[in-house]
Amino acid sequence: MVGKITNVDIMTVAISRLLQDGETVFHGVSSPLPMVAIQLAKKMHAKNLVYLNIPGGTNGQMSKQNKTSTASHDLHYMMSSYVPLTEIFDLSQRGKLDVAFLSGVQFDRYGHVNASVIGDYHHPKVRLPGGAGSAVLIPTAKKPIIWRSKHDKRTFVEKCDFNTTKGNIYRYVTPLCVFKMENGEVVLESIHETSSLEEVQNQTGFDIKYDQIRITPSPTSNEIRMLLQVDPTRLRYLEFDQKDIKYI
Amino acid sequence: MKRVKLQEAIQSIPHGSAIALGGNTLHRVPMSAVREIIRQDISNLKLIKTAGAIDIDLLCLANLCESVDAGFVSYETQYGLANHYRKAVESGHVKANEHACYTVISALRASSYGLPFMGVKGLIHSDLIEKSDYFDKVIDPFTKQEITVVKAITPDVAIIHVHSVDEEGNAVIEGPKYEDVLLANASKKVIITAERMVKKHFNQAIDIPGFLVDQIVLCPRGADPTSMTKRYPYQHQSLKEVKSLKTKDDLDKHLKKYEYQDYLGSRGYRSW
Repeated sequence: MVGKITNVDIMTVAISRLLQDGETVFHGVSSPLPMVAIQLAKKMHAKNLVYLNIPGGTNGQMSKQNKTSTASHDLHYMMSSYVPLTEIFDLSQRGKLDVAFLSGVQFDRYGHVNASVIGDYHHPKVRLPGGAGSAVLIPTAKKPIIWRSKHDKRTFVEKCDFNTTKGNIYRYVTPLCVFKMENGEVVLESIHETSSLEEVQNQTGFDIKYDQIRITPSPTSNEIRMLLQVDPTRLRYLEFDQKDIKYI
Repeated sequence: MKRVKLQEAIQSIPHGSAIALGGNTLHRVPMSAVREIIRQDISNLKLIKTAGAIDIDLLCLANLCESVDAGFVSYETQYGLANHYRKAVESGHVKANEHACYTVISALRASSYGLPFMGVKGLIHSDLIEKSDYFDKVIDPFTKQEITVVKAITPDVAIIHVHSVDEEGNAVIEGPKYEDVLLANASKKVIITAERMVKKHFNQAIDIPGFLVDQIVLCPRGADPTSMTKRYPYQHQSLKEVKSLKTKDDLDKHLKKYEYQDYLGSRGYRSW
């Protein structure tokens, strides 16, 4: 085996396995983890996945030049066609976008997402960057996936301060676990082997619902080998605080 | 004809203008123009952008913004949040009109199509409908179903940095074009700053046709410290420096450093 496996590797592989061959998949700015997971999926099981991004480099590959931005012309490397952001949104509006990766700062039990403000909208305590495409992509994409590099009670809250958008979320992938939505509520799908039910409950601001306890499937040695190949500069770790990285 | 110095182009922008800036987060942002706006202290600006970072942040530090219409305002991952923008909104100095990036696009398309508003799907689930002046619900006269709409945005001026422009104003962008062609169509006035000027583009795909362009400015390295496809990557050290600026004094020193470079194309330097 190659090096130690972390929860970030587990997250990357878990996200990559959510992507199916032939799907149209989009990520936006500040999205290194989805970018790596998509590249991994294309090398492993989803060769014909259609990868869309802000610079418009369809099926662009990560190259040695790839720096930390996920909206740069670096993603034009080896691209198969140019499809700009405006047209990717159009695709989602007419129901043809399969997967969109989005994030936020607060998520509640009913699938609300807050990427806008903490406190009052017009007089915020904290002004957040904004939802980017969330408010139109989460309701219109078929499988919106939320990823977040933090899992704590400030992130998974009883009630969001503001609802940038809601509902229709396919999966939440966090450093501790994977959630899904069932009957309009967030339920536990699986726990990473680097965490525990106790930790997930302690770090979540609402009661965790589950029918049975599953462990997120471990990355295979093939997946880990390919992950090191597509992401040798460890861009997938960019968003993570050192304290949130756990080893198997 | 339309070729002017950077100072003249920016002087022609009145206080209180609605300005759309080209590029995206750390890429191909018309930074020489942004710095010149700050030098000339053009205030009460209404900024329009899908995803902004350094441009909006610096104009907020300079206290020149009245409102920001954007889907996302933040540096990317490793450079963190746009703190001056945040503080300006939190203290009530700047009004944040939060959009989904697509609603900025739709609002610009409405303007570009000559329509007062544009239908957008998905927004119905967002609290933004209640809070933002830009969104509303109407009944579709054909299906009688409710649909959300976004009000047109017509910028007074769009500033777009491109790879090359010819004497007629025909502009060519290499690599990602982001929403810049749309900006040119939607705005009342278009200022092009360019890395390079040529006499005439022959047999080349033109991104922005010259007849839409009002002024052209030669600005080598005009996107610095953001990236310019095939020319230069974004400048890590300069971005770190920008992130460390705290006061108006720091900002003035920072602008001073760029002065020579920003005026290079306006000092008689010719590239054709």
